[in-house]
Amino acid sequence: MNARNSGSAHRGLGEWLLQRLTALYLAGFMLWLLARFALAPPTDYVTWKTWFSAGWIQLAFALFFLSVLLHAWVGMRSVFLDYLKPLWLRFAAHVLLAIGLLALTFWAAQILLVEAAV
Amino acid sequence: MSQKKNKRPKNLNLLQIHLPVGGVVSILHRVTGVLLVLALPLGFLLFQRSLHSPEGFAQTAALLGSLPARVLLFGVAIILAHHFLAGVRHLLLDLDLGISRNGGRLGAWLVLIGVAGTALIVGWRLFLWP
Repeated sequence: MNARNSGSAHRGLGEWLLQRLTALYLAGFMLWLLARFALAPPTDYVTWKTWFSAGWIQLAFALFFLSVLLHAWVGMRSVFLDYLKPLWLRFAAHVLLAIGLLALTFWAAQILLVEAAV
Repeated sequence: MSQKKNKRPKNLNLLQIHLPVGGVVSILHRVTGVLLVLALPLGFLLFQRSLHSPEGFAQTAALLGSLPARVLLFGVAIILAHHFLAGVRHLLLDLDLGISRNGGRLGAWLVLIGVAGTALIVGWRLFLWP
């Protein structure tokens, strides 16, 4: 197969970079959250809820959700592209994944804007 | 791909050949990634419940304290630890660190040792914490 005719040029680089940039943010966020919970675990509702009243915490979580969903998109896509051979199956998996991740994006936004809002 | 007839001997005896440790770590990185995506909705649900109301927080805390939930959390922690450490290994490989044959093997073993260590610590925290 001719690689030149298999898709738009340079698309892979963007995904490659996106996967690594989100990975870096996710790693940093996870370590920070782990340290935060190890030092001062949220023991009651008020502490937990007021923790989210700080704008930068909200932003950190919003970026976390965005990173997770983009990272999941690129990762699941490469798994599908490698293992799902029939075109219809690959297409169906991509559509389901897109719908699922889009739904999770709106859900995350709703949690942050409604539940975690002050 | 070459169209020439390949005359090299084939040996696919699964009792004699096996995936190198770097390959094992790499395929597990994919498997754990897919599992983590499947676990996302559950995490979202718990996060939402815990922030919704004091009752929701209490329910979530009680649920997470139950034995089945702790076993599940233990599994998720091991899966996450593997995906995290194997991911760090991949990032280092991008920087040409641990890219040699021996370096690749060492990195892969370090990932597995790290996962085992994490499992011990998390297991102790979840099941033996006073």
